[in-house]
Formats: sequence, structure tokens, C-alpha cells
Amino acid sequence: MRLKLDPRTKLYMLLIVSAIVMMSATTPLLWTIRIVVTVIPLLLLISEKRYASAFRFAALYTVALVLTFRFLSEESTGILKALLTGYSGIVVQFLPALITAWYVVRTTKIGEFMSAMQRMHVPDGIAISLAVVMRFFPTIKEEYASISDAMRMRGIALGGGNAAKMIEYRMIPLLFSCVNIGDELSAAAITRGLGGKGKRTSVEVLRLRAFDWLLIAVFTAAAVVFVVFKYVL
Amino acid sequence: MNTKKLTAKDFITIGIFTAILFVVEFACGMLGYIHPYIVASYVVMIPLVGAIPMMLFYTKVKKFGMISIMSVLLAIIMFVTGMGYLGAPLIILAGVIADLIAKSGGYKSVQKTVLSHGVFCLWICANYFPVVITAQSYRQGLVDAGYSAEYCDYLFRAINSKTIAVLLILCFVFGCIGAWIGKAVVKKHFEKAGIV
Repeated sequence: MRLKLDPRTKLYMLLIVSAIVMMSATTPLLWTIRIVVTVIPLLLLISEKRYASAFRFAALYTVALVLTFRFLSEESTGILKALLTGYSGIVVQFLPALITAWYVVRTTKIGEFMSAMQRMHVPDGIAISLAVVMRFFPTIKEEYASISDAMRMRGIALGGGNAAKMIEYRMIPLLFSCVNIGDELSAAAITRGLGGKGKRTSVEVLRLRAFDWLLIAVFTAAAVVFVVFKYVL
Repeated sequence: MNTKKLTAKDFITIGIFTAILFVVEFACGMLGYIHPYIVASYVVMIPLVGAIPMMLFYTKVKKFGMISIMSVLLAIIMFVTGMGYLGAPLIILAGVIADLIAKSGGYKSVQKTVLSHGVFCLWICANYFPVVITAQSYRQGLVDAGYSAEYCDYLFRAINSKTIAVLLILCFVFGCIGAWIGKAVVKKHFEKAGIV
């Protein structure tokens, strides 16, 4: 089953998830909420048939949770524990937002995103730039992978152990290709009328369906319960 | 196109460089989990490394607003990735001031660009704001989240309301130094290649 969510719902989910992970969970109830808001985007990823990434995220998150609860505490000391704390700290803290962001980036077409932004009256400048940022992360990843391959072929992957060289060797080619891609992107976008004076119309008609409202309700409830139980009770 | 208003091309440029800057920030940020002192050393690392893309970005800035929009985007991304909303006003403020400084130099003056980058780098300190302002509850939060007390002690020894001033100054100084290095790198690679 493939659910087609409205981009606005996705952005709302992202907003709530990042707000919830920012507040620390202290009681089992709060942890449950956190885990629930992490599992929902995972299920959505599965419904989009992105099994591999869903599985990878789930495995990472589970391992980090187990580590946090079983092995780490306030008293833990030593290098190994410190590294483990670091690892599970990153994962538990940032993975929920990362999963949601991944889901949003991977399943939202740029056209949908732009028309959602327009419906929410976000200024064009911010909307266009954000759309480019969203589209650009996968590109950077690809370019970076090719640069690493090229460097390995030349046998200079470590830059002779010189930190400044290592950064230079990676950064400069990356910037070169990003600048070129950017020029191509703007040429393509402008020929298609981006930045024109007329009002943009969209092929995608955005509509909030029943399932969108359901998700919005669930996430709102999660946020409210979280805040109430953390700060009021 | 000689209009004063920003065009679609400018917005695309902003988007690309924001993405690159965020990748730099994120890569450095990952190191912070090894030891809390590295968290404090962001003020040195990120301005130095980030200066290379930023200086290339500055060569493309010709109109007011581009640096400001970049700071708004950074604020949004920082919020989404869980850095909190406390820093957002500071990020945007730093961006707007940096933009004004660069504008006063007509986006060409070398000194103004260097100064502007120094101010812009203050956005990095915005990430420390939750640590400083909500010190007590933040610490509790870290402990609850499974960090060791040792990590927290180091973190708060490095970052507190007294050291934040030093960190801000360091951030500015290394922003300026980074800008000089970045300028040299851009000159070495990009001007020779005729890209700028």
C-alpha cells in the first residue's frame, strides 16, 4: 500500500519530531512517545518500499536504545564507554529527526514541495533556496563518493597524513563540481520559468486527505502529551 | 540582469552553498561526540574549513539579502536537526549584520569581506546557547539521555556563561583568519581556472 501524503503533513511531522527530540525524555511514558514518533516515519518509509533504508535506520536505533538503557549511566567512565556514549548519544538524539527528514526528502517531489510552500505563503526566496538545499544533499554525497574513488585510484586518499591537504583535496573538487551543477540547475530552472513574474501554477493538486488529518492529529497529541507530562505534571 | 532584486539564480546559489556549509558543520559536529572539548573547538574548526566555500560564495554575492537568507536557512536547518530554537535569532542577527558589513564594502572590498565573514561565523556560537542559558536543565537532559557525568562536567567546564565571551571572540578571530586563508585558496584554485 502506497500512501500519498501531503507535503504539508510531512513538514508538520518533521517539525513535531524535531521539537520532541529536543526535549529530553525522563520517564518511561516520555520515552514511549519518542519511540512512537520514530516508528511512524519508519513505517511510512516501509510503505514507500524503501525497505533497505528503513531496516538500516531501525537497526541503528534499536542498538543505540539498548546500549543506552542497558549499559550506560551517569557513572560510566573510560574510553570505550565514552565512545559508546558518543555513538548512542548521536543516534538516539538525532536519528528520529534524521529518519523523518530522510523520508520527507526522498518522497517529496520538488514540484510538490514548491506548491506546498506557495500554499503556506512562504516567500519565494526562502522556498527556492530550501528546495535547492533539499535536492542538493544527495548530489553532494554522490560527488563526494566519486572524488573519494578518484583519490583512491591516485593513491592520495589520506593526503600524506596532512590534515590541511586532506581537506583541500576533498573540498576543492567538490566545490568545482557543485558550482558547475549549480549553474546548470539555474539554467534549467530559468528556462522553465522560475523567477518569472506570473503566478506559478502546479500540476500537483495538493489536498489534505483523511490520512493526513489522522497523522496530524497523532503528532499533535504526541507533542501535547509530551509537554504536559514533562513540564506540567 | 542588472536588477537590484534577487533572481532565481541567486536563490539557487544560496541553496547550494548553504548545503555545502551544512555538510561541513555536520562533519565537524560528529567529532564533538568523541570529547566535549572538541565541541568547544568548533569555533576554530568550522570557521577555518567553512571559509573556503564561504569565500567562493562571497565572490558570487552582489546584492543585499543573499547572506541574510543563508542565515535564515541555517536557522531552519539547525532547528530541524535538533539544535533548538534559542540560537535562531542570533544566527539571523549575525547573518544580517554580516550582510550589512559586506554591503558597505560594495561586496568587493577585501577587508569588509573578511570582517563580514568573522561576524557571520558567530552563528556557530548560537549552537552553544542552549548549553549556556538553560545550563541546569540541559545537564539533566544529557544525563537522562545516557551521557556520562564525566562528559557533562567537561562540557560545562568548556562552555559556560564565562567562557561564552571568549568563544565568541575566538569565533570572530578565526572567522577572519579563515577568510584570509579561504581567499588565498579561492585565488589559487578558482581564479586561475577562470570560474570566478
